[in-house]
Amino acid sequence: MRKSLLGKSFATFVLLPFCLVMAFPFVWMLLTSLREQNTIFNGPIIPRKFTGSAYREAWTSIEFPLHFWNSVWITSVTVVGVLVFATLSGYAFAKLDFPFRNTLFVLLLTTLMMPSTALIIPLYLELKSFGLLDSQAGLLVLYISGSAPFAMFLMRAFFQTLPDELIEAARVDGGSELTIFRRVILPLTRPGIATVVIFQFLSTWNEFLIANTVLRNTDSLPLQPVLFTLMGQYSTNWPALTAGLTLSVVPVVIVYVRMQRQFVAGMMLGAVKN
Amino acid sequence: MASAQFFGTPLRKSQRVAGYLFVLPTFVLFLGFVLWPILYTAYLSLTSWGGFGAPRFVNFDNYSRMLHDPVARRALVVTLVLTGVTTAILTFLGLVTAVLVNVIWPKVGVVVRTILFIPGIVSFVVSAVLWKLIYDPNIGTLNRLLGAIGLDSLQHPWLADHKTVLPAIVVVTVWGGLGFNMLIYFAGLQGIDPNLYEAAAMDGANTVQQFRHITVPSLRIVTGLIVSLGLLNGFKAFDVIFVMTGGGPNHASEVLGTYLYSLAFGTTSGSIPQLGYASAFSVVTMVLCTLAVIAQLWLTRRADR
Repeated sequence: MRKSLLGKSFATFVLLPFCLVMAFPFVWMLLTSLREQNTIFNGPIIPRKFTGSAYREAWTSIEFPLHFWNSVWITSVTVVGVLVFATLSGYAFAKLDFPFRNTLFVLLLTTLMMPSTALIIPLYLELKSFGLLDSQAGLLVLYISGSAPFAMFLMRAFFQTLPDELIEAARVDGGSELTIFRRVILPLTRPGIATVVIFQFLSTWNEFLIANTVLRNTDSLPLQPVLFTLMGQYSTNWPALTAGLTLSVVPVVIVYVRMQRQFVAGMMLGAVKN
Repeated sequence: MASAQFFGTPLRKSQRVAGYLFVLPTFVLFLGFVLWPILYTAYLSLTSWGGFGAPRFVNFDNYSRMLHDPVARRALVVTLVLTGVTTAILTFLGLVTAVLVNVIWPKVGVVVRTILFIPGIVSFVVSAVLWKLIYDPNIGTLNRLLGAIGLDSLQHPWLADHKTVLPAIVVVTVWGGLGFNMLIYFAGLQGIDPNLYEAAAMDGANTVQQFRHITVPSLRIVTGLIVSLGLLNGFKAFDVIFVMTGGGPNHASEVLGTYLYSLAFGTTSGSIPQLGYASAFSVVTMVLCTLAVIAQLWLTRRADR
């Protein structure tokens, strides 16, 4: 399409109302979380008076800090674990030569198309037989094993962009493969790692189904299942409910805004290579 | 090739050993928590099991039961319809918004991209709860807005009516997924050679013709990817529906994921879990997802020609 002034004006004319509709739910969420509880039934859509009391209520009444911390902890361990597995295997698939390399790679990639709804029953039973049900350790194992292959796929695409000569030269100098990986490759991997970190952070922070199924003990729950129960608990206290939602979204927005560029770059990499 | 590697030089040998060692940890996790569950669920789908004692082998009974279970049929139809409609809308809107964002002033484009993308980074639980409040029949914002602009007659218990519950779910899914598709299409647009448009313009092609004969064909691979991701996401749909309607009212929004979940982990306390029957739905879901991926590979190969 030509980028004439006419085209630009037309695009603005169409996109502007569209963006308003898209942004509306979040704007409404913020406004509702800041209004007084007794004005949700009959007050105007934009409240006349703003108050932060709903945030105080959400923060204290459901042990919000505890679940928030659970989410931070579970997400961090998953990110680190996935990184360890994915950099090692991604590097091997990109730069090392070994029999059945492609077969193994394709086999591992089948993970990407297996949805957790389809695997939740056997995974639940498996954790149960290991005695890991209702423990964050069990949840972490499932998170890491379910996510490592996609991260591996991203890391492989990233490693492929590094020149082979780099590794050849280090081999001639007599470094073992592990030394080469640690000393030569890892220091260059930062952009790839950043991409994996943001992807993994978002998907683990937002995961609901597995956490809601394998954890029953309320104290160990991360945020998403808690938000779900909050919905029933606060079915009429919308300011407190939306305040809880807003608080849960803050880390995600911060990470996205700060790492937007890597995120988009990683998505392109994933999309193009797919 | 393979034999040359097997009897290769010492340099090659150390690479081989390192290669396997580096892949091993990921592969062990894969065997234990992906491959084994797939095989185990396939086995369970041929049994009848309440979770205690040994599973009883029943052959393909669960699958034939599925054909006679009205809820199962409903869930399959709803899954396919929701997936098809959502994928079509998401693909079309994704392309249109990407083209528009590409035309607009770059600085405005960044803002638009962010606004469209943010719904996709919050969890499905957050978006589902948010939209459930918006759809609320009594004090929901949608009904209040309709009332405020004089359209009281359109006010509706959106999620409680079996006629409107599916469109309401489609809206939420599109709202959350659009930004992702727009961004992938946007990246695809950057890869099209601008000379193509210039040449077409010189030949007298108008904007619509350029869009049809240059933009759409050039983006065929991207479209294949977006369609297949749309299908995958549709077949595995769970969170939004589970949170907003739980499959209701009266199974009107039941999909494979929510139905198998209620069979296995029953929301109604006291009912015996039907792990065998539920596993049959897992298998159906996996087959559908595999077909979606095969379709994409096929589309990509065709586009390459």
